[in-house]
Amino acid sequence: MLLLLAIVVSAGMGAVKLSFGEVLRALLHPAEAGDAGVILFTLRLPRVLAAGLVGAGLSATGVLFQGLFRNPLADPFVLGASGGAALGGAIAVFLVPALSFAGVGAIELLAFGGSLLAMAIVWTLAKSGGHFAMENMLLAGFAIGTMLNAATAALELRQEATNPGMRILAAWLHGEVTVPSWTQLSFVAILEVAALVCALPLARQLNTLALSEEYAAQLGVRVARLQILVVVVGSVLTALAVSLGGLIGFVGLLVPHFLRLIFGPDHFRLLPAAALSGAVFLIVADTIARTVFAPAEIPVGMLTAFLGGPAFLYLLNHRQRSSTV
Amino acid sequence: MSAIMEFRHVAFAHGARTIFDDLCFSVKYGETVGLLGPNGVGKTTLLRLAAGLLRPASGEILVRGRELGNWGRRQLSCCVALVPQELEVPFAFRVEEIVAQGRVPHLGLFGGLTSADHEAVESAMEAVDITGMRNRVLAELSGGERQRVKIAIGLAQQPKLMLLDEPTQHMDLGRQIELMALLRRLVERGITIVAAVHDLALVRDNCTSAILLTPDAPAVAGPVSELLRSDLLERAFSVERPSIERYLATQPGSPGNAGMAAPPSLDSKEATGQQEMNEPQEHREHLRRPGEQLRCRGFARHGRSWRYWDHD
Repeated sequence: MLLLLAIVVSAGMGAVKLSFGEVLRALLHPAEAGDAGVILFTLRLPRVLAAGLVGAGLSATGVLFQGLFRNPLADPFVLGASGGAALGGAIAVFLVPALSFAGVGAIELLAFGGSLLAMAIVWTLAKSGGHFAMENMLLAGFAIGTMLNAATAALELRQEATNPGMRILAAWLHGEVTVPSWTQLSFVAILEVAALVCALPLARQLNTLALSEEYAAQLGVRVARLQILVVVVGSVLTALAVSLGGLIGFVGLLVPHFLRLIFGPDHFRLLPAAALSGAVFLIVADTIARTVFAPAEIPVGMLTAFLGGPAFLYLLNHRQRSSTV
Repeated sequence: MSAIMEFRHVAFAHGARTIFDDLCFSVKYGETVGLLGPNGVGKTTLLRLAAGLLRPASGEILVRGRELGNWGRRQLSCCVALVPQELEVPFAFRVEEIVAQGRVPHLGLFGGLTSADHEAVESAMEAVDITGMRNRVLAELSGGERQRVKIAIGLAQQPKLMLLDEPTQHMDLGRQIELMALLRRLVERGITIVAAVHDLALVRDNCTSAILLTPDAPAVAGPVSELLRSDLLERAFSVERPSIERYLATQPGSPGNAGMAAPPSLDSKEATGQQEMNEPQEHREHLRRPGEQLRCRGFARHGRSWRYWDHD
């Protein structure tokens, strides 16, 4: 409900203001909408839906990775998965444009590869000594993320400014939701829903994993398989989110954290809740980002960094204090 | 077959380090088996092998007469419950939700808890008396309470065989005695128990048989009375024989009677004097009931249990 409301309201906001009624009318009778319809269907709606998909993907990934690492500080951006996806996507844009099928596919595929690779590296580094240390996870994620972002930026420098890929890349690096084509949007939406459905049974097993790997294995969970599946599904979701919105940080941290205060820590309930609330959160954040300083837009990634950075630091500090007691 | 579990010529190595060479023993239905041995000898490894978490390099492990490899993972989890040493949960799950995880091997892939599952969780919590803390989170609980939550998870699995890894760890004397009484109640319910325990007196007073692991020597299994011999213990723990003899001699008969046991004899006081018992500890001792005094000194003599006083 809230999600639908957020879509309609934020679709109305922008350089040309459309009233709530106008948006609804255009949505219900697209053929008679005229100018409002054009604005709505080519600009506003794709962007709003894209923001929703990005928010849902990042938040759901946050829940999955937090369960995987048994640590509420895990987030696709913090862990470097977003950075890997952005680099993979950038390679697709510049080096193998011929690979795309109907304009979509190659970016998402290479973004998925990059995200998976980044996660595999962070996983291996963080797991040294048989179990995860929080510092290892955060430092490895930071180092990998920074390296990957630098590589993406280097790719950007090598290109001429006239290259159409430049615009996409700049948007990615700043964490800006682009206006996608309907083809790309539906492609991402279908894959994302599929990934979320696959993630649900995994989320239930993450509750058992929360006790410890040994406990989960003792209770009949195939721990190694679960961990690999979570990394794969999380990488798919990250890649899809990054292909639309680039490097948007801390969404996967903020949204699950607040939902835990409401719904408790059950990953099975948290996952769908995080996907929906994440969508609403990012639609609202993106609407603010593109309207507050109108006609200028600030990338929504900056906004979430301003909100999420302090929240991250608070959580870090809070955890350290509680773990020393 | 009266054996619920049997190890036949089991070998296992952690990397280059051989833990077991040719391990053989069997556990009969309804037994309470104490698993003894010095730190690092492989007690935890043995329990993990028995729970099917590790595969032996060679040899066979049979549960209810069937080789472990022929058990389905979930099927095994419904029959054998392992209670590991540590339980730490990074999220704020309530005690009830944690205990309900014990039902996981009984559930389908998407299945929620059925009423039978809820009953099993409820009776597991009742058995260890934690129904009053069902809504609390683990971080708020004491070591003893946490231990009971762990056992409740195992009970919710409704196993036939329960493997406990140092269940009395982090427990003061009173909690240790309560735990042993709880284990006896589990045996009455038809659960066979294998527990790694450091305290020889607890094993002697509560177990029907024992397995003694000795570094670089074959393991010995048998009735407790045969196993708690000073020559075997001397070799296993590399402690001098007189101190073991004194240790075993001064332990009260049964922890259940600890409160009523005779006051410390002159002998046991002398024995204590030879240990590094210092003034403040002696002083504290007078605050304890007689039976408890005895047991605490027993710990001291064993060499690693001064922490009882430390905790107090």
